Amino acid sequence: MSYICVRDLEKRFVIREKRKKGALLREKKTVRALQEVSFDVDQGELLGYIGPNGAGKSTTVKILSGILTPDGGEVTVGGRVPWQERKEHVRQIGVVFGQRTQLWWDVPIRDSYDLLKDIYRISPEDYRTRLAELTEALQLGDLMRTPLRQLSLGQRMRAELCGSLLHRPELLFLDEPTIGLDAVSKLGLREFLQWENKQQGTTILLTTHDMEDIVALCPRVMVLGHGQKLFDGSLAALLGRYDTIRTVTVSYEEAEAAPELPSGIPVSREGKNLTITYSPDEYATAEMIARLQAAGTVRELTVQPQNIDRLVAAMYREMDL
Amino acid sequence: MDTIRLYLHSMRMLIRSQLQYPISFFLQTLAQLVMEGGEMLAVILLVDRFEHLNQWGAGDLYFFFGLMSVTFYLTECFGRGITGNFPYLVRTGQLDTFLVRPRGVLTQVMCSAVDPRRITCIAVGGAALIIGSGMAAIEWTAAKVLLMAEAILCGSILILGLFMIEAIFCIYSVKSIELVNALTYGGRSACEYPIDTYPRPLRVLFTVFAPFALTLHVPGAWILGKPLFGWPEWAVWVSPVSGIVFFWVIWGCFQKAMRHYRSTGS
Repeated sequence: MSYICVRDLEKRFVIREKRKKGALLREKKTVRALQEVSFDVDQGELLGYIGPNGAGKSTTVKILSGILTPDGGEVTVGGRVPWQERKEHVRQIGVVFGQRTQLWWDVPIRDSYDLLKDIYRISPEDYRTRLAELTEALQLGDLMRTPLRQLSLGQRMRAELCGSLLHRPELLFLDEPTIGLDAVSKLGLREFLQWENKQQGTTILLTTHDMEDIVALCPRVMVLGHGQKLFDGSLAALLGRYDTIRTVTVSYEEAEAAPELPSGIPVSREGKNLTITYSPDEYATAEMIARLQAAGTVRELTVQPQNIDRLVAAMYREMDL
Repeated sequence: MDTIRLYLHSMRMLIRSQLQYPISFFLQTLAQLVMEGGEMLAVILLVDRFEHLNQWGAGDLYFFFGLMSVTFYLTECFGRGITGNFPYLVRTGQLDTFLVRPRGVLTQVMCSAVDPRRITCIAVGGAALIIGSGMAAIEWTAAKVLLMAEAILCGSILILGLFMIEAIFCIYSVKSIELVNALTYGGRSACEYPIDTYPRPLRVLFTVFAPFALTLHVPGAWILGKPLFGWPEWAVWVSPVSGIVFFWVIWGCFQKAMRHYRSTGS
């Protein structure tokens, strides 16, 4: 049996809406946050979990981490049912909520870690080696004596990660970990997650809206929409379905270059620069490049696949999300 | 044992973090003194004007006031996690953080806050106890000291239970602060005076539903040598346990309610 095993998971929320007449009478509406969601995850996988806002990503994570009780279906993580054996379960998991801190606000982060050591009952030797290891990997050495409230967002995320990994969890949940981070922090964070996944063998489940996270980290991606699982597989396979546009930009040495292109391909010209877009299903990229080169001396030429955010937006649109 | 160590460790850290803002801490502690001093002044004025209330003399009244103050503010000081934070934690979804750690929810909530500023309130209550004990000429015995300790402990547990009601309401996203405050802060203000000074509905409320009378007044009256309700001695020892029973029932309700916990946001 796989490490995480989810079968026909159901979660419903009852939303009370105020009706116009009579403040006391409220209409109840049931929202199915998750509908018959099933999937398996093996130990050591790094899985990306995407979907538009309100798709049910966080709800899934909260059920898997034992915070919420589902209304139907079966879930086991390492053989445990999260909401039934909460304490045994959470000893083996780490959770980082992108927008909610788990450390203490006014004290140096090292003090927070010391308290976490007691909460998780980590032995002193284990704690020392693990803390040293994480301090180095996350470059927290200079920050240990700084109160959390004085850290920048990027530093804080690193501090949070350290806190959630001190007890060497088998499984790490990350809920939008790169939200609001600058480029350097994002790259550093991704590098660290890869290290943790490879070196420590930690299974990582990551929800995000940043497609670059998925491209950089996740060999496998799962798409959720309206509470249903819509896709589960490799990123390439997912994008292949919606990858319908190539953009080629070419700069010529001479201004009058006019390549012969099949009719119906939109061309936009700006001085010596030409931009064309076409579908890779209809025309081979090699043929396009050959035609462009035949028209003059090419100084520079770039071929761009469709922007990944647009791809995902197109995908969500088609899936009617 | 391990849990107590965790609690003490948390307290040390929280107090250190509060002392990061020393002036604010000092001023707030002082404000607490003024507040509780005012409450005490009300009793002093009452005693000055009437000398006694039913069969209770000035010393008795100070004693009851002190017993309630010490109990209530010890609870607010060391149980701040429940009396102050709990509803907030539930409403904002901060409870998630506790649920993903391998410790009891109650332990972690208790470890989440401490309010050392209440020390001045406890001191006022302590002073009232000493003055009252002197004026009422209580002859202290080991049994009386033990009974008073039991009363304070059980009273504290009762107060924690009362505050927990609000957290339960918050799970169902019902704002109910006023209703619950009537029992907690209202109960404190009312039960600074012995229960038999009140009309029947209030007597029932604070004896049966929120048993301040059973946890504090019954043992208090016995210590003063004027047993309430004419109860025998063994009943005086059993009566404060009602506070623990009350807490246990509320805690059971909370755990049931947690199945409906919805957390918040992403």
